Amino acid sequence: MIKIEHLRKEYPNVTPLEDVNVEIHDGDVISVIGPSGTGKSTLLRCINLLEKPTAGKIWIGEQEITDPKCDINKVRQKMGMVFQSFNLFGHKTVIENIMLAPMDLLGRSKQEAYDTGMRLLRTVGLSEKALNYPDELSGGQKQRIAIARTLAMDPDVILLDEPTSALDPTMVGEVQAVIRDLSKTGKTMMIVTHEMNFAKAICNRVFFMDEGGIYEDGSPEQIFEHPQREKTRRFVYRLKAIEFDIKGRSCDFPGMIGEIMAYCIRNQIERKLAGHIQLTFEEVTQLLLAALDDPRIHAVCEYSENTGIAEWTFLYNGPQFNVMASDNDLALSVLKGVTDHAAYTWLEGNEYSNQLKLINRSA
Amino acid sequence: MLKRLFAVLTALMLLISLAGNACAEGGTVAGKEPNEAGSETGISQGASEYADLKSRLTGSLADYSRKRIGIPTGTSFDQIVAKALPDAELSYYNNLSDLLAALSAGRIDAFPSDEPVIRYIMGENASVSYIPEYLDSFEFAYGFAKTEHGRALCSEFSEFIDKLTADGSLDKLSDKWFAPDESGKTLPDLEALPAVKGTLVMATNPDYVPFEYVRDGKIVGYDVDIAAQFCQAYGYGLRIESMSFDAVLFAVQSGKCDFAGAGMAITPERMESVLFSKPNYYGGTVLVVPKGSAALTASNTADAAENEEAYSFWGNIRDSFSKTFIREDRWKLFVSGVLVTLQITLLSVLFGTLLGFTVFMLCRNGNIPANLITRFCIWLVQGMPVVVLLMILFYVVFNAVSISGIAVAVIGFTLTFGAAVFSLLKMGVGAVDNGQYEAAYALGYSNRRTFFRIILPQALPHVLPAYRGEIVSLIKATAVVGYIAVQDLTKIGDIIRSRTYEAFFPLISITIIYFLLEELIGFFVGRIGVSFNPRHRKPADILKGVKTDD
Repeated sequence: MIKIEHLRKEYPNVTPLEDVNVEIHDGDVISVIGPSGTGKSTLLRCINLLEKPTAGKIWIGEQEITDPKCDINKVRQKMGMVFQSFNLFGHKTVIENIMLAPMDLLGRSKQEAYDTGMRLLRTVGLSEKALNYPDELSGGQKQRIAIARTLAMDPDVILLDEPTSALDPTMVGEVQAVIRDLSKTGKTMMIVTHEMNFAKAICNRVFFMDEGGIYEDGSPEQIFEHPQREKTRRFVYRLKAIEFDIKGRSCDFPGMIGEIMAYCIRNQIERKLAGHIQLTFEEVTQLLLAALDDPRIHAVCEYSENTGIAEWTFLYNGPQFNVMASDNDLALSVLKGVTDHAAYTWLEGNEYSNQLKLINRSA
Repeated sequence: MLKRLFAVLTALMLLISLAGNACAEGGTVAGKEPNEAGSETGISQGASEYADLKSRLTGSLADYSRKRIGIPTGTSFDQIVAKALPDAELSYYNNLSDLLAALSAGRIDAFPSDEPVIRYIMGENASVSYIPEYLDSFEFAYGFAKTEHGRALCSEFSEFIDKLTADGSLDKLSDKWFAPDESGKTLPDLEALPAVKGTLVMATNPDYVPFEYVRDGKIVGYDVDIAAQFCQAYGYGLRIESMSFDAVLFAVQSGKCDFAGAGMAITPERMESVLFSKPNYYGGTVLVVPKGSAALTASNTADAAENEEAYSFWGNIRDSFSKTFIREDRWKLFVSGVLVTLQITLLSVLFGTLLGFTVFMLCRNGNIPANLITRFCIWLVQGMPVVVLLMILFYVVFNAVSISGIAVAVIGFTLTFGAAVFSLLKMGVGAVDNGQYEAAYALGYSNRRTFFRIILPQALPHVLPAYRGEIVSLIKATAVVGYIAVQDLTKIGDIIRSRTYEAFFPLISITIIYFLLEELIGFFVGRIGVSFNPRHRKPADILKGVKTDD
């Protein structure tokens, strides 16, 4: 079991991990997902102290590895790590890469190490490459060897840091196959990955990382099918969002239009749809500013790369008021021309008590 | 357009070459002018023996007032020439052999030398002559440090020289050493000196025939003979340290040697730094010029026949070879020079590698004081010319300690080579990808084991070619150890050139020997490189002792 308490990691300019608290049970296969720069790799590397935490405690079993008296080398022997860049030892042949650590660190005989090495090479399908040097192999082969090297130490925990990110798309499959087999052996595994379908297929638990910690922790079904939290949902559905908070009438309207245009260009939103997104915002906001006494509006647009649909959500204060039922016919006809679905909800008791959802779709 | 430009250029070049020829001819004409007006010749010793030589002397000092004059460095000749020929153009050369080579190549028109020396040279090398007028007269003496020990020794020497002068033995000694016949020039056995009052160390530069020179592998000469007789009479032993002339006084001042016996003229400047005994030789400085006189060829018909054979190319080579290697078993000197060079190089490589490696290990983990000290030392060692470093070590740092020049050379080159090894390791280890460390740490390797098992084996193949280059540079760099009284290959070459008065053959021989040494050492380092490179292992060795029945 791995227990992490108040883990914090600071770099001079950035703090990827602010406060991480989690327990990992034996046999868990955990996928760590999340946008880049949210500390996925940092979390993994803190667990075997390749990165030294700024604060917090980590226990591996009964051993507190953040204790300065802890012999981390002993702990690492039971905790394998697979790197994005393979990091095979260039001066050793494939079989020696696998034999080296068991002989040096576990006192295995050469014969024992060789037998284990060959067995592992057969499981990753590369026994014929035993006497090749790493630079004679393809990326996928190198990563399979790296996994075999890790397994040769018979670790209890295996940390995989984006194992397929550096690979040619044609080689991702062979490495994923090996990891998939590995996930069935009952070893505790943590894998940082961007391949969500792969994550879904092998893990029993998912960490979604954001906001300096584990933002949402749940089963693959929960995270991928029914994400509970906003950012998880956006990430899983590949939603690109833009948000505005308008307080009072004196807002920078042209500035916001400019931001919307930049957002559309950034997400390569088709030109016509981009026009619709902008028009929707303009019309609804103008109508609301005219109608409300003390306007407070929260507007969010979410564009899904998967479906090509943009959804506007407007939350605003004041008495019950559906923009789509207002009497400004000109504005309404424009709105109806650019949106194809509108849903109004009255949220009794909330600060923003009115909710309006509008869908923009490209033709 | 281009054509015209080309034509103009060609014309210009023609003009220049014509002008050059005219000048050269003018020079020869002046040189040919036999001028016997220089009758105030100061030739004082053994004049009758050298009557024939005297007939070969030509020209007058006035002819050379605006010529190019070569000066041996570290001597007082430049002041003498500047006084006698104020308009002459001076250039500096390392030793007599270089001056002779420059003279015969036409780079200089004349150079000053002490009369007895040049007389001896004329016996060996028929292509020079000298102007029979003294530029200056001088007195040679032994030099001593201005210490109590030096003062005492100096007065004993002066007393001894007075006695020799009084009973006429000084004249006999000079007759003996300034005669052309080598067989009569014998020395007392230095090993058999009484040495009851200790052994004196004499600093000298043995390329100054007949005052001190190397014959049959031993330093002999007029100064050595008198010093030996002195030691005999006063109960000392005698040991001779050979070094560059520039270093002789320094060695005495610093106490490395007890006295200087190097055909050293007494000058006011030198007297400021050392004490001089009573003079043991009175002589004059003359100007050495190329032999170009028609009268001379006529007077030397006997030589001409002999020369004819020597003029043939192979005859020349054979002659030079025998002079350089065979005569007086000089090849033994070369062997000893090679051994000294090899000894310094190999020891410095060994210790330097150990030093560089140790320091690298201390600095490896970013220990700040260790890194600062190392950076300072490397800055110091690498910023200094090696020869300066060696001289500082020899004459300043290890001055009080009795330590041989070879040991100091090894220490100096160990420092420079250690600095090079440190930088190489830093470069090689820096070239290993950071991921290699991480992979090893993640497997549970300790920092130290990671370095030795994973990092170093990958760094070494990067570094070895440059390491080999450093060794070759080191072999060449050892050529300066002559400055600290070590007779390495280069110094041996100087010594032999000072006897044969030929630049070409000994220099080429030394060059070839250096090349051979570099190739030899390079070959062995290359072999080590192969055995260090894990890629050169045979598949059978990789799995040695493992049953691979599948």
